[in-house]
Amino acid sequence: MKLRIARSRDGGRITHYDLYKIELRKGMTILDALFQIQDKMDPSLSFRYSCRGAVCGSCSMLINKEPRLACRTQVSDVHGFEMKLKVFPTLTDTPPGWNPEEEILIEPLPNMPVEKDLVVDMTRFYRALETMKLWIDSEEGTEAHLQSPDDRKKIERYVNCILCAICYGSCPVNYEQVEYIGPAALAKAWRFAEDSRVKSPERYLDVANSLNGAPLCDLIMNCVKACPKGVAPGGAIRKIKNP
Amino acid sequence: MLTITQHKHDLLIIGAGLAGLRVAIELAKDFDVAVITKVHPLRSHSVAAQGGINASLGEGDSWESHAFDTVKGSDYLADQDVTEILAKEAPRAVIENERWGTAFSRTDDGKIAQRPFGGAAFPRTCYAADRTGHNLLHTTFEQALKSGVTFYDEWFVTSLVRDEDHICGLTALQIATGEIHSFIGKSVVIATGGFGRVYSHSTNAIINTGDGCALALRVGAPLKDMEFIQFHPTTLYGSSILMSEGARGEGGYLVNSEGNRFMDRYAPEKMELAPRDIVARAIQTEINEGRGIDGKYVHLDLRHLGREKILERLPGIREISIHFAGVDPIDEPIPIKPGQHYSMGGVHTDKYGVTPISGLFSVGEAACMSVHGANRLGGNSLLETLVFGKVVGEKIREFIPCASEPSPNCVDDEAFKIREKLQEIMLKESGESPSEIREVMGSTMDSLVGVYRKEEDLKAALTMIRELKVRLKNVYGGHSDKRYNFSLIRILELENMLDLAEVITMGALMRRESRGAHWRLDYPVRDDENFLKHSLFTKVDDYVKTELIDVNLGMFEVKERTY
Repeated sequence: MKLRIARSRDGGRITHYDLYKIELRKGMTILDALFQIQDKMDPSLSFRYSCRGAVCGSCSMLINKEPRLACRTQVSDVHGFEMKLKVFPTLTDTPPGWNPEEEILIEPLPNMPVEKDLVVDMTRFYRALETMKLWIDSEEGTEAHLQSPDDRKKIERYVNCILCAICYGSCPVNYEQVEYIGPAALAKAWRFAEDSRVKSPERYLDVANSLNGAPLCDLIMNCVKACPKGVAPGGAIRKIKNP
Repeated sequence: MLTITQHKHDLLIIGAGLAGLRVAIELAKDFDVAVITKVHPLRSHSVAAQGGINASLGEGDSWESHAFDTVKGSDYLADQDVTEILAKEAPRAVIENERWGTAFSRTDDGKIAQRPFGGAAFPRTCYAADRTGHNLLHTTFEQALKSGVTFYDEWFVTSLVRDEDHICGLTALQIATGEIHSFIGKSVVIATGGFGRVYSHSTNAIINTGDGCALALRVGAPLKDMEFIQFHPTTLYGSSILMSEGARGEGGYLVNSEGNRFMDRYAPEKMELAPRDIVARAIQTEINEGRGIDGKYVHLDLRHLGREKILERLPGIREISIHFAGVDPIDEPIPIKPGQHYSMGGVHTDKYGVTPISGLFSVGEAACMSVHGANRLGGNSLLETLVFGKVVGEKIREFIPCASEPSPNCVDDEAFKIREKLQEIMLKESGESPSEIREVMGSTMDSLVGVYRKEEDLKAALTMIRELKVRLKNVYGGHSDKRYNFSLIRILELENMLDLAEVITMGALMRRESRGAHWRLDYPVRDDENFLKHSLFTKVDDYVKTELIDVNLGMFEVKERTY
């Protein structure tokens, strides 16, 4: 099996692609393959990683033109074009020489500046959490809130978000408008607005409806298709737009 | 006036998992707090904790009962004054996080739901489905963001700096640039988590390389109880990903190749919900005696729980089984075997996180207070981070105003030395392969310092680890770049892990008894007369000094441990 991997030594843009032949092992994930390359062939290859169990959200990247977690993607099971995403240029431009029959194409997550190889600059993505104040405002008290299982269920899919930014990288609006805060932050805002324990849900809705928030979303729903955790941010954004 | 590579804060916290973040939140209002972390905080290993967090919230339960279960689970090695704090403060810590927004699973009447867990007399493990760590970490990170602490994300700490008897800062590598910077601080907290990656088969994240513990050892702070490594009974065969104890808490069975629920022979009363050390040994014995499936694993069977319960209570377990083993637990049993899971040992501290070096504190899995003794109960590690994050923070609040002004020169001299050291590694043209050394270390620890130990194995392991340390001196990282040089990071992590592997093995050799997670085939009984003691490891010049120190008893009488 071969991997064709986007390289960028100094960041900014992909400068070239390197081709590596890996030794395929049973159960091998794309992340395992990247480590095999870093360990045995090319120590200069950079990519982020941590849990290798699809819970930490570090290893988001473009695999055969679809944004995925490298750790949860089996090498033997990569096909591509299964998500049926609405495309934008990063998802359609292919490097010369790529043979999809024999090579898996690995590129950095779209819609964020490339720092080095598969490492992208996530500053903008993280900053929304702060500027939108996506946290609970504390109030005095020493008792746990009551919450019915049904009320908890309303926020369940949104609290499952691991902030891997795959939705952000799959979104055609994020491709065109850098100021769009993106699906994950909006889903998180909705998670607070829908939480039966929250005293002032309006604050989260207001910030989600700000100029660079929900109004920019065209309900394309790539985020719903690409999300590895079934969070479905697009559904939350639809509700934010029409409360 | 600070230069571009100097930073100064009152408090430097290393690690942004639950423990480090909870300390930061405690002190953000009072001091200039910096959190230095090699990964973005949300990528910390706390995120992977599944089953839950213990607190005696239920009717009829009590902190005393929680403390007793913890002490008995620890095989009486836990310091009972520390366990008392853990159990007493547990309800407050859980409620605090609930009020910060954690979406705990609920009972029908809206209370925080609790499930049974190994070694516990009550169903006292609060949970958010089987994603409790994820929920707690995201919530706690939100509060840390709100508190306004300074984050240094993707900085790898390369050394601690001390001036005589007190700490004065640290040096760190900015991963994005490859530059070494000086951090000057009155106080440093080590909250870097465990060191599971010393073993090849570990549930731990790839980043769990025990950096903080190795830094502490090198700067002269003692490590404690390092031989006590928890092997989780149920890790997914192949990838060693954790299959939560919650799976057994909800009623899952362990079944061998003959189709028998074999736990009836090892813990007839508690069965699958005996503590982890006992269940791990039972599974290993089944495999060793030929009753494993294909000779390699046993089954965790959830099928009788039914689709609905699995989807509601164990959705993460199901997702992992499907994606990483191709098995849907609704229809098929899950292949599992024991694997390294938790480090009971760590940086030697008292119950306030204080180390023998003035200004240096430690908390969470990186620390050994010791609250878990020889075996940790499930649900107590998330709890430890939140309870003691606050306790340690309060202690530091008292400490900082009395601390002496740290010397920037001291830190800069050290930064100069670290730059030279890294340049030497980077400029080499040939030498040993770091990945090969890492692989040999992992398999050596797996096979010779694992669930069952004996003297000849441990001696062979120690010889091998020391050989690897010599080989590492001549390591060749290959051609790389300065920016985002993760290969270099992995070499530095390997250096840390080898130091810890040596100490773990030394401890396992020295402790000629079987207690909790440490089982010696050649000394198969607990020996309270000689070993109801903590082991302590201190680096002196070029060797590691070992000694035994007393356990704080008092509340519960030391007894035989049966389940």
